[in-house]
Amino acid sequence: MSVLKEMFENLAKKPATTLYPKEKVPIPPAFRGRIAIRDEKCIGCSKCAVVCPTQCITMVASEREVEVKGRKITRKKKPEVELFMCIRCGLCEEYCPTDPKAIYLSNEFSGAGPDKSVVVK
Amino acid sequence: MTEVVVPIGPQHPALKEPVNFKVVADGETIVRLELDVSYNHRGIEKAAEQRDFVRVVPLLERVCGICSHSHTTVFVKGIEEAMKLQVPPRAQFIRTIVAELERMHSHFLWLGVAAHEVGFNTLFMWTWRDREAVQDMLEEMTGNRVNYGTNEVGGVRRDLSPDEIQAALKRLPRLEERIAKYAEMVSKEQTMLLRFKGVGKLSKEQILKLGAVGPTARASGVDYDIRRDDPYLAYADVPWKVITDTHGDVYGRTLVRIGELQQSLQIVRFCLEHIPAGPIRTNPPRAAPRTEILSRYEAPRGELVHFIRTNNTDRVERLDIRTPTLANWTSVAVSLVNQNLADIPVVVAAIDPCLSCTSRITVVNERGRRIGEMTWDELSEHGRAFYRARGRR
Repeated sequence: MSVLKEMFENLAKKPATTLYPKEKVPIPPAFRGRIAIRDEKCIGCSKCAVVCPTQCITMVASEREVEVKGRKITRKKKPEVELFMCIRCGLCEEYCPTDPKAIYLSNEFSGAGPDKSVVVK
Repeated sequence: MTEVVVPIGPQHPALKEPVNFKVVADGETIVRLELDVSYNHRGIEKAAEQRDFVRVVPLLERVCGICSHSHTTVFVKGIEEAMKLQVPPRAQFIRTIVAELERMHSHFLWLGVAAHEVGFNTLFMWTWRDREAVQDMLEEMTGNRVNYGTNEVGGVRRDLSPDEIQAALKRLPRLEERIAKYAEMVSKEQTMLLRFKGVGKLSKEQILKLGAVGPTARASGVDYDIRRDDPYLAYADVPWKVITDTHGDVYGRTLVRIGELQQSLQIVRFCLEHIPAGPIRTNPPRAAPRTEILSRYEAPRGELVHFIRTNNTDRVERLDIRTPTLANWTSVAVSLVNQNLADIPVVVAAIDPCLSCTSRITVVNERGRRIGEMTWDELSEHGRAFYRARGRR
């Protein structure tokens, strides 16, 4: 009998589901989404590539003047991420020494697509 | 009547994960059940030996899709024990909150699956809707619905802000109300009573003999819970009680799980309200000294054991994972004897099986084309030879 009561209660309510592509679900600020890189901040230290559990980050050659603790240096490398190998654990962001982080997990989700070899630069 | 063998699986539309049952049936009655697990061996234990303590944690999180926090907690707990680290109390409380939320979402999931197996899909929809609230809480606190990425050796990776604590506390009354409703529903609803009562019955003696763990054991009156008997995290500081039942059947297991849902909610509320201030991590040393640790944890499905051997380096020399499902399988085979064929799904679902986590043994045919299985002696000999060839011990 308790089921019948529950059924009538639910009849008066709105559906529990959201119409996904039309309505976007709220994303909490802490959400770990698609990985992103701020190229202008990266100092080429390779810490992210070393700590990555899936080794999806490779350091590629890219020269650029960057500022580290007030000093101007020329960085030699920058990270590139093979997106579909990334498990979004956030270790790269945690180990990145720059502020704001040069490599971080954005709030972007719904990253499905037909291309398997997406590289985040 | 003659006995008939009904093969089910390993690939079968009714199964969610690969497992093979050979059901020997006499008419509609089950005479014997032969189980064959390990169709999904993923080599996680070996992979864990190749990674240092920072990079192994995200790997272990992926042993199981439901109890991902359990596997990392039991591992970092063992490593911290080896390193003799004092983890800050705030980190322990955050771990406890995530662990109990995980138990809640696992038990909600189980209740839905059990209802689905008896054809009561309405309840399946309701419980999974309410499970979303728990998942949203976990997402807000940790950043992901499934792989929380909370643990690291020495503490937790993410602190809880006062806003997040308040937001989580606000969600609890609604969940409490829903759990109370399910508790009432289970003891009154005819669909469930008819399909759950007296099905898959196991006595206390049988449970102790077969070594079943978790809610399966507690439903038969075995008063055993790692959280109380070998306290870890913040459980020693939190008021809660172990739920047991004497029915011993699927109905008893449902009652135990619903009781645990209520207890978990109380633990989460207590931890959120009484979370101590302070740091959330200590800096661990890079390497762990040579030692052997047996780390135990009460996962949603039962006692989870990680055997860890460290050797003065920054990675484990050997990691052995004993999941609760492996301990519970034999109880399924025994409790199904003399039951009805139609009761297989619900009795199997009653232990909340998690097959990919359980698969640990691979059959190796090194010498020639020998087809068959490895005996226990052959397997242990193979293991000794492997480690000897690697030049350690």
